[in-house]
Amino acid sequence: MSLRSDLLANVTTQLNGSSVSVTSELPWSAGGVELYRKNKKKFYLSETDQDLTQLQSTLDTSDVFQTEDTLTGFITVDAKNQPADIQTVVSAVLNSRLSVDNYFVRECLVNTATDADEIVYTFEYRFVKLT
Amino acid sequence: MAYIGVNATADFVTLRLNNSADFSSNIAAAFVAGESSNYYDVPSMQEVTVNATPGIFRWKQLDSLSEKAVTTSSTNSVALTVVLDDTTFYSNTGSSYGILDTVNNKTKTAFRLYWSGTSSSDRHIEGEAYLSALAPTVTPDSPVWTSPLTLEVVGDFTPGQVA
Repeated sequence: MSLRSDLLANVTTQLNGSSVSVTSELPWSAGGVELYRKNKKKFYLSETDQDLTQLQSTLDTSDVFQTEDTLTGFITVDAKNQPADIQTVVSAVLNSRLSVDNYFVRECLVNTATDADEIVYTFEYRFVKLT
Repeated sequence: MAYIGVNATADFVTLRLNNSADFSSNIAAAFVAGESSNYYDVPSMQEVTVNATPGIFRWKQLDSLSEKAVTTSSTNSVALTVVLDDTTFYSNTGSSYGILDTVNNKTKTAFRLYWSGTSSSDRHIEGEAYLSALAPTVTPDSPVWTSPLTLEVVGDFTPGQVA
């Protein structure tokens, strides 16, 4: 299983019965509008971005590397009528970072942006493991 | 004039250890081909510092505007930082102890430090030393064991060149 599918599986379980559903579709744009803005109350997760960097450099190039994986999740809801359980949903998505094993950094930040009558919740996952 | 670079593969700095026997009468014998099953190279060094410091005794005289000085015995050591490697840290190489056992058993070790490569005519210093200052460290943000290590040299550094 990939990191993305692990996260999606966990978020799906966590949000079961809530007002927000989960899709495995990527958050691509259709007609200049991102899917997550078009389809409110749906959790979208981006593809994984990967960064391979040096954790410990050595004189004989037997360096220790780390892999940093980042993903971005999106939920859009109506700003005027937010779902009653939105805070529970946000907490569940934040906590889904803990479902991933073998990473020594498992972080998730959430930002909100209000545009017209929409609030977009953007979740920035960051995972770091030894390579 | 040329600087001593260690960035190319053929120019890597190498620290070789052999404590399989007492080599005090002929340290070079610890690193001949016949000892290749007993010596090992310390891998993944991050930093190496060679300290060769003569002691100085100073005194003042009433007939001189400046201090006088004479040298006393030198304190020689090699300090390094390494990313610990499970083979050379835990395991013996032939009859030589790994790093942990060498420190634990306080075993005198023949060492040879190649400044820049181990090929013919490359230069090195060698001697005998006790390993000390082992202090492995690991943190959640850097989850790999690293440690300082000091070779407290017994006597002189002996310079040489690979034949």
